[in-house]
Amino acid sequence: MFRLQGSKVLAVDMTGDAVKAKNGSMVAYDGQMAFKKMSGGGEGIRGMVTRRITGEQMTVMEVSGHGTCWFADRASEINLVSLQGDKLYVESSNLLATDAGLRTGTSFTGLRGASQGNGLFTTTVEGHGQAAIMSDGPAVVLRVSRQYPLTVDPGAYIAHQGNLSQSFQSGVTFRTFMGEGGGEAFQIRFEGDGLVYVQPSERNTIAGDV
Amino acid sequence: MSHYPGAGPTVYDPMTLPSDDNVNNYTFCVELKGSQWFLQKGKMIAYYGQMDFNGIGHGRLDGLVRTSFHSPLHASDWVVAQGSGKMLLADRAFDVNSYDLEEGNLTIRSGNLLAFQPSLALKQSIVPGFLTLIGTGKFVAASNGPVVFMEPPIRVDPQALVGWADCPSPCHHYDHGYMAGLMGGLRAMTGLGGASGEEHQFEFVGAGTVLLQSTEVLMAEQATGVVPSEPGVPGGYGAPAGQPQQPGVPRLPGQLGDLQRRFGL
Repeated sequence: MFRLQGSKVLAVDMTGDAVKAKNGSMVAYDGQMAFKKMSGGGEGIRGMVTRRITGEQMTVMEVSGHGTCWFADRASEINLVSLQGDKLYVESSNLLATDAGLRTGTSFTGLRGASQGNGLFTTTVEGHGQAAIMSDGPAVVLRVSRQYPLTVDPGAYIAHQGNLSQSFQSGVTFRTFMGEGGGEAFQIRFEGDGLVYVQPSERNTIAGDV
Repeated sequence: MSHYPGAGPTVYDPMTLPSDDNVNNYTFCVELKGSQWFLQKGKMIAYYGQMDFNGIGHGRLDGLVRTSFHSPLHASDWVVAQGSGKMLLADRAFDVNSYDLEEGNLTIRSGNLLAFQPSLALKQSIVPGFLTLIGTGKFVAASNGPVVFMEPPIRVDPQALVGWADCPSPCHHYDHGYMAGLMGGLRAMTGLGGASGEEHQFEFVGAGTVLLQSTEVLMAEQATGVVPSEPGVPGGYGAPAGQPQQPGVPRLPGQLGDLQRRFGL
């Protein structure tokens, strides 16, 4: 059971079950806990190799026991996501913890990843359960539906879930090269049904100043 | 947003997003209905609907720039958003707030201003590094920590100052002991012998409002553009010979006038 204590600390109540969390993110625990580092994110040899190749490395530990365990990472804001059989796409650096029952993997993001400056691959989480993702400032959750597509700045995007297709939009014109661009030269457009998480801050992207 | 166990975070869609109001402390939502907003480059984080972002040098926007943009030399830091839909603005997870001006004026540190309606005119302030908004309309400003409103007369720490409205007399204030005498001069020069770090303040008097942020962490300066170098224009570079030098320029040997005064000689 995931719950937030304040907005920057995640408390997980466990009764013999387990969670996967970012290595070293435990700040306190109560009761009996065992911490086990999972090589390759617990995705087996194939997952390990994939992560190594794709650059989506994450070091994960499995925490199991009875009691409450608290997690936090560099005072980032934490957002809870509940998954009912759908898939969450999140950057490995923004993923704090998942229920042990959720499957994690990697997926190709194409140009979006390149525009964000964090690689061509992203982490996926799927199954039934809860996950905790981190953001710089509290994330705003935006619903995308058929009649309301959403356009997002790559630097502010942190995660999305559901059945969404994404396309890459470029507003680069000759003006961009004359230093009179619109400042929003690269955008990702989401269409379909699902949720998009954006943070109130922009990472430095290659397109940050264009 | 609710953080009760079990309840998920609030999910927004174009219907539930506020119109020209804060979504949370760090995110502001602007509704465009065929209208326009000026925003600092790169502060849009997401939008629903159809929107265009154009640099200000854009031909079609010339008229708009002429009426509401009076600092031509830093126009390249601003873009015009136009279209219809809802747009979210945020800045490095700083607090953002909107303010309404009604036939008013407000002077703000350049790095703090995020966006404003074109019904306001943006001008460079005479005070270097600050911008003045004049007219009627809404603008969005970022600050490091929530903003506090104070009534003059007041003296404020330079790093905490966000801006001021209606006060015609912003000036520097130095603690007396800091300036006077040989020891005072030595302290000021070297920081030895105990400087509290609060010897220098900004002073405001008269009717108006002073806006302070609740930390002393400055937001990154945004270039306001250079002012023409004319006699009598503060901050104009290339001041004609005979004018006092820019502060911060190392003093040449033999130019001890100011130093002598400091030491009370």
